[in-house]
Amino acid sequence: MSVFDGLKFRRVYSPIHNLDPRIKFIYVCAIFTTAIIFLELIPLMILFLMQVPFVILAGVKREWLRSMRGATFLAAVIFLTNFIFSFISAGYIVTAFNLEHAVAMTLRFIVLVESFSVFFLTTSPDHLGLALEQTHIPYEFCFAFTTAVRFVPVLAEEAQTIMDAQKARGLELERGNFLKRIRNYIPILIPLIVSAIRRSLELAEAMESRAWGATESRTNLYVLKMHRGDLVLIVITVGILALAIYVRLFLGIPSMNDILGRFFEPQYF
Amino acid sequence: MSIIETKNLTYTYPGGTKPSIKDVSIKIEKGEFVLITGPSGCGKTTLCRCFNALIPNFYQGELEGEVTVIGLKVAEHQIYEMAKHVGLVFQNPENQLFALSVEKDVAFGLENLGVPREEMRKRVDSALNLTGIYDLRERAPHELSGGQQQRVAIASVLAMQPEVIVLDEPTSFLDPLGAKRIFEVIYDLNRKLGVTVVLVEHRLDLTAKYANHIVIMDDGRIVLDGEPRKILSSEEARLIGVGIPKPTRLYQILQKDRVSLSNTIPLSSDEMATMLREVLKS
Repeated sequence: MSVFDGLKFRRVYSPIHNLDPRIKFIYVCAIFTTAIIFLELIPLMILFLMQVPFVILAGVKREWLRSMRGATFLAAVIFLTNFIFSFISAGYIVTAFNLEHAVAMTLRFIVLVESFSVFFLTTSPDHLGLALEQTHIPYEFCFAFTTAVRFVPVLAEEAQTIMDAQKARGLELERGNFLKRIRNYIPILIPLIVSAIRRSLELAEAMESRAWGATESRTNLYVLKMHRGDLVLIVITVGILALAIYVRLFLGIPSMNDILGRFFEPQYF
Repeated sequence: MSIIETKNLTYTYPGGTKPSIKDVSIKIEKGEFVLITGPSGCGKTTLCRCFNALIPNFYQGELEGEVTVIGLKVAEHQIYEMAKHVGLVFQNPENQLFALSVEKDVAFGLENLGVPREEMRKRVDSALNLTGIYDLRERAPHELSGGQQQRVAIASVLAMQPEVIVLDEPTSFLDPLGAKRIFEVIYDLNRKLGVTVVLVEHRLDLTAKYANHIVIMDDGRIVLDGEPRKILSSEEARLIGVGIPKPTRLYQILQKDRVSLSNTIPLSSDEMATMLREVLKS
């Protein structure tokens, strides 16, 4: 099932994959904040380009491009609404400035999507669960998270089996109007839910049999340790934030129009 | 002293109208390889659940009689206390693995018990080696075949170093070759580590030769209990509908036809073959 392909994490080893997920998450948040505090095109372009070396280092170019392609529709919507609103508010004229503004807003969205997809593409769910655990989130929640991820492919396969079985009995999924089509899925959903409940009971039994809840001070096979790479990332993160705040507060940012304008409008010379 | 002993055990599931097991009294000795068999729905699984306190702690319901495991009265202990002594492996391998890597799954029980990391590492590695899945340790459970998954389940129980391992139809989701490999792993654990094994199984063809104690149940009761060769060649066992190993059945038929064979009843094709060779020679 292609829908679930995105949820299957591919185990890859790269300097980025090995980074501590907590630090990576802080980095993503820093990029997020920086993208929010700038409205201008140039800093957003810099932020966008800054992610590219991460993607290349992590070796997840193809997956990354796929997730970026997935964002194009929303990006187009954002561009159009921004453009139309500024078009109307500017008195029904297209100006280079409102065009630039719409591009900047779109780029801001793309930067957000980009940085989050880099995070999720390079962090294994296992690692993420471990990070949750070591930030002292109650173990029950971390367990629920990793178990949910673990059972996504299992349930997807089961849904497929049930669909095949019901189709073999003459259920037609692709028939009728919109409402009818939704109703067609009921004979799939009910067995799926029932079997998920039954599965959860078996899981609970197996958990109990393996000493679930034996002690408050649970130990862990793995431990997250900070490496040199993580320190480098911390420095980069702090640097980006500091620079962004400095530029925002004390420097004027030229717009693309100002720079390009010098070439296009020779009368100033 | 027996490692597992039940006395007049009767249990009814909540909402059940009649007891699933009735008046069950068995004794299992340390180091034995016990085979429990019988028709579906005869209470084998229920009996297994009594060994590690899943009954009565997880399933409520009505329990009469007494179960003692390693001198501990099961009803007075929590499941996690019993889990250290009795490891349970279930039928469906998929529903007993929770983690995203094999290694992490094997460590799950030890993590719950709060075993220190170095000790845990050692025990996990040795359990992985004993079940022959060390090379799979970083794979995700859902990528593995059923047989491999079941071996992970066995390893994860083994890592907790229990005195008894109870396996409830561990091979019903597996193909014959996968099943055979699982039985070999189990037999190895029994022979090399001296772990007491309680195996619930229908495939007697593949397992009878390993067992030194067999229990046959029917309709919640123990019908036959004792030495495999004697029990499997008895008329009662055949009538209950237990899958008597083919060599044993062949031996019975030949004896009826007054073909003189030696007195040890064969449990495997190999034993039957040697026996026939001797007859043919003379």
